[in-house]
Amino acid sequence: MTLAPSTGSAVDQGSVDIAFGGVGEPGTRLLAGPEPGSGAESLIAHQARLGAWPDFEADRRALLDVLDLSGLRGRGGGSFPAAAKMAAAAGRGRPLLVVNASESEPASAKDATLVGLRPHLVLDGARILARAAGAEEVSVVLHRGNRPGLRALSHALSERARAGLDDPEMTVTLGPDRYVSGEASAVVSLLEGGEAKPRFTRRRPAALYGVHGRPTLIYNAETTAHAGLLARFGAQWFRRAGTAERPGSTLVTLAGAAARPGRVLEVMAPVSMGLLLGAAGLDQPPAALLVGGYAGAWLDGATTWDLPFSHEALGHAGASIGCGLLGILPPGACGLGETARLVTYLAGESAGQCGPCVFGLAELAAIFEALALGQASRADLRRLHRRALGIEGRGACRHPDGVVGLIQSALRVFAPDVRRHLKGRSCGATGGPIFPVPPTTGGWR
Amino acid sequence: MRVTVDPVRCEGHGICCLFFGERIDLDDWGYAAVDPAPFDDIRLARKARRAVAACPEGALAIEITAASAAPRRH
Ligand SMILES: Cc1cc2nc3c(=O)[nH]c(=O)nc-3n(C[C@H](O)[C@H](O)[C@H](O)COP(=O)(O)O)c2cc1C
Ligand code: SF4
Repeated sequence: MTLAPSTGSAVDQGSVDIAFGGVGEPGTRLLAGPEPGSGAESLIAHQARLGAWPDFEADRRALLDVLDLSGLRGRGGGSFPAAAKMAAAAGRGRPLLVVNASESEPASAKDATLVGLRPHLVLDGARILARAAGAEEVSVVLHRGNRPGLRALSHALSERARAGLDDPEMTVTLGPDRYVSGEASAVVSLLEGGEAKPRFTRRRPAALYGVHGRPTLIYNAETTAHAGLLARFGAQWFRRAGTAERPGSTLVTLAGAAARPGRVLEVMAPVSMGLLLGAAGLDQPPAALLVGGYAGAWLDGATTWDLPFSHEALGHAGASIGCGLLGILPPGACGLGETARLVTYLAGESAGQCGPCVFGLAELAAIFEALALGQASRADLRRLHRRALGIEGRGACRHPDGVVGLIQSALRVFAPDVRRHLKGRSCGATGGPIFPVPPTTGGWR
Repeated sequence: MRVTVDPVRCEGHGICCLFFGERIDLDDWGYAAVDPAPFDDIRLARKARRAVAACPEGALAIEITAASAAPRRH
């Protein structure tokens, strides 16, 4: 496996520095095409680059087959098989297709990159998924803060209207910049005109009972973009990248102690973590890696340098690709302090609806902060373990579970630091915060 | 069958636990923590139904699991 030259000038999208580059030959897919500096790709350039629509576009059965054969899995965090979700809703009622471009993760930039620079790739995918589902309406959901995304999408929609494309009806909806507002049932609530807070849906999945009771298929923006390409080029082509369990390329956002945090890479093959970190400007292992998102898992920096970046290998290591975030904790930084900041942020992002989430996360954050400050006792640590286990699976959404996973991985990976902190000794960490944590602000609409 | 709790509705009244302590516990903040282990015992089923009916928030529900479409008599 070779490392494609990580080309690319940076483009300023808000505060996020984005550059293009593929890792692991051959070439790139989602990030192929013009350099980011040239802004959103026009419809004309997009069509010239990718060619005409597949002629089986009108054949729903054929679209469902290619989606199934491709093995595409969701890129919004859960890696759920895209075709299985489709099968649940197919042929029922008046389905609605939703592109989830909320990108709740503060340090993630992949969906903003796609929507901002390749809007037609996303809209093509939405059209294909809508056709496959028999949906005549598409909603693209963005966080309000994603101004460049809104501009690019609005412009792209007007281009398509002017060109007379027979797309399904497509609209853009803005949601609050809150962490849990990107969760599927919160998106449904937003689209019904309500607050973008998760709902208890265990017996009423959105695919069957979504927006105003209609079957509602929610796909992440990257999942959607992949669907547009694989409908054109086929399942075989799609499977040439990625792994057997999770075919296709994967967008990764570098965060923390990377040369350019916010840089988005397209990983074509299961390259080693070390190779990815090399692309992030590292020449030696970091202290630790935060994989999959803020509610993801820590991995030990030294032992994971040779670990392949793949669904399978990360799964064995106790992590998952999640939203593709690769957070780098530099040597000398305090993993417990970083975790405490993340847990406090995530606790503040609870939608405030479920007792175990509201009280449980607040208590976990308080204990973890004490631990990071060297003020926690062994009894506190035992309480931390007990509380973490006690709230798992008990929220309406999986927000608390994500925080529990983060805490458990931190206690594992930073075990030597935990011992030092329990004795009230400083871990000798230097430097400021590594991962950006936005202030918790605003309402829920 | 098993009992499920809607955590958004649960306000921690704790009444369910009085009716069906075999499967419902209260956590440290007083919210219902439900043991998801399925049961098909007619006695437990009766208790479960009472707990569901007693919740003033309507937060509890009985879920039919594949293994026990109908409660077994002992
Ligand atoms: C707390 C929380 C936040 C989430 N935020 C997002 C998000 O911002 N964007 C997203 O696509 N999925 C998010 N998800 C996952 C969605 O619920 C849903 O699984 C996903 O959008 C489905 O798309 P996919 O199958 O293509 O991954 C979140 C999930 C949770 C539990
Ligand atoms: S678990 Fe937390 S974030 Fe999820 S719905 Fe309940 S209160 Fe909201």
